[in-house]
Amino acid sequence: MPEPTRITVRDTPVDLLRDGGGPPLLYLHGAGAGGRWLAFQERLAERFTVLAPSHPGHGASPTAEWIEHISDLAFHYLDLLDAQGLERVHVVGASFGGWIAAEMATMASHRLESMTLIDPVGIKVEGWIYPFLFGMELPQLVATVFHNPFAAMVLAPPDMSIETLALLYRQQTALARVGWNPYLYNPLLRRRLARITTPTLLCWGAHDKLAPLVCAEAWRKEIPGAVLRVFEESGHVPHLEEPESVAAAVIEFCEGRKGSR
Amino acid sequence: MKFYYFHLMPYPMEHDEASSWVTLSNRHYDPVVGQTLYHQYLDQLEYAEALGWDGICVNEHHQNCYGTMPSPNVMAAMLVRRTSRAKIAILGNGLPLRENPLRIAEEIAMLDVVSGGRIVSGFVRGIGAEYYSTAVNPTHSRERFYEAAELILRAWTEPGPFAFDGRFYRYPFVNPWPRPLQQPHPPVWCPSQGSSETVEWAAKRRFPYLMVFTPVKRIAQIYGEYREACERNGYTASPYQLTVNLPICVAENDRKAEAIAREHAMWVYHVGLRMLPPFWQPPGYTTEASLKRLLATRGKMPTELTYEDLEEGGYIICGSPATVRDKLRVFSDELKAGIVCSGMNGGSHEATLEMMQLFSEEVMPHFRDDAHVDETAGVGR
Repeated sequence: MPEPTRITVRDTPVDLLRDGGGPPLLYLHGAGAGGRWLAFQERLAERFTVLAPSHPGHGASPTAEWIEHISDLAFHYLDLLDAQGLERVHVVGASFGGWIAAEMATMASHRLESMTLIDPVGIKVEGWIYPFLFGMELPQLVATVFHNPFAAMVLAPPDMSIETLALLYRQQTALARVGWNPYLYNPLLRRRLARITTPTLLCWGAHDKLAPLVCAEAWRKEIPGAVLRVFEESGHVPHLEEPESVAAAVIEFCEGRKGSR
Repeated sequence: MKFYYFHLMPYPMEHDEASSWVTLSNRHYDPVVGQTLYHQYLDQLEYAEALGWDGICVNEHHQNCYGTMPSPNVMAAMLVRRTSRAKIAILGNGLPLRENPLRIAEEIAMLDVVSGGRIVSGFVRGIGAEYYSTAVNPTHSRERFYEAAELILRAWTEPGPFAFDGRFYRYPFVNPWPRPLQQPHPPVWCPSQGSSETVEWAAKRRFPYLMVFTPVKRIAQIYGEYREACERNGYTASPYQLTVNLPICVAENDRKAEAIAREHAMWVYHVGLRMLPPFWQPPGYTTEASLKRLLATRGKMPTELTYEDLEEGGYIICGSPATVRDKLRVFSDELKAGIVCSGMNGGSHEATLEMMQLFSEEVMPHFRDDAHVDETAGVGR
């Protein structure tokens, strides 16, 4: 795991993990995965310079009081690209991170070489209401997010100290600030997805119980030219449940885009 | 000392679900039973006035069997015309839970005018579970509370119309009719669990501070912090700014009182307050500093409290009239609390009425040095 570095993006401190070599790839983590460098990122770092910042209030990034809306996070990451002097990047976002990535793409597709969304939340899908994770105790939470519960071990907290419990609460709070109500979506986003010109790969766990395949179909329909890959042994987090296969799909997709524009 | 009779209006039932809040299905609620209960509870509150209580209290909770008063103002409206002397304390309205808190300014003013100025208006944030029941974002709770309170106080005191432009609440015209009868406005109380932010806020505005279902040691500590905050703000707290809310169980002797409390008072803790852990602390409801303090003390959950814990911790006052008088002296003489809000549960409606009568005859008269004082004069405003 690379050493975390502290950068500042328009006065907002950000904890950043960076490793690998090659074209830049911005990885936007899902809720509860801030500050983690997992097998999936390790594999991507073989082909890309992976930048994995922790969202404000997640991992070691402090809470940013100015963040009130999901679009604030999307602008925050466009600011991060500016601050790092990155004109164009591949972006990969999982779940909550996928929601942020999609918002970014509606604002600035020209900054994104490609976009991979892994079981994103963020849009309202007819006939589906996302289960309310905030009211769940751990066993139910794991059962909702993971098809393979053993894959959850990589996100297990190191201990149950006051500091750790306070961090978990801070992370939930950061998520709730932008995702409590409307719960995990932006009512304005869905119509805007048609604006995206970035080549888009959708990776989806076949057994996702938080955002099931009916959601994947909605995303595929709305983002022009989006390609959908389904992972048969996964729930909501295929990058944790089948990291090798998902990383291979991302690499194949990104490298297939080379010179395509 | 002043006595207020407090009611939760519970729906007493046994169940095996993990939570009595938010997720306990309302199929358990039988409206026919509910009708009887509501009338008994309202009768008890009206009887309290007849027996000499200084005030009667209602409160707001949502989607649970612990307290079936989602709208305390509706209950207060029923009491206003059936009583004539007692203060009616609404403890309180959950300000952040409202999308239109101006409605609270209007409803309280209506009640105050009809009651001839007998309303005490409690301002609360609502407990954590309420944010699951109303879907209001708990990360906005504190800020919405302060903003709604400012709006309501200005609506009561500044001639309208004026514009209000807050972060959460925005009105081109604030101009509520009617205006409250009490001037400058009905007394405001702050029922709370003792967060340092709320203590400071209440002390600055001379709003009485009400500790609800808290062990006596913690009450003493928070009262100390509140008094200090009052001094910092340039005045000395009146005893009527220090209020305590705890159940009382009185019977002809200690043994009988204990038996009743063991059988009926424990329900509130073991069933009424049974809740999934996430419902206690929704994200952002508590500041990180307060959360760490809470984790460091590692207090028992209400469901883990035994009768002995309640008795020894001073969560409850239980015993013969003489014992109850002695225990109340801790609050009146040592803690110098000016107002005690108490509910009683004898196990049945009739037994509860009897217990209330016993209390009013054998306990209350011993604490009446201040009978001539209006406890709402000069505080809460």
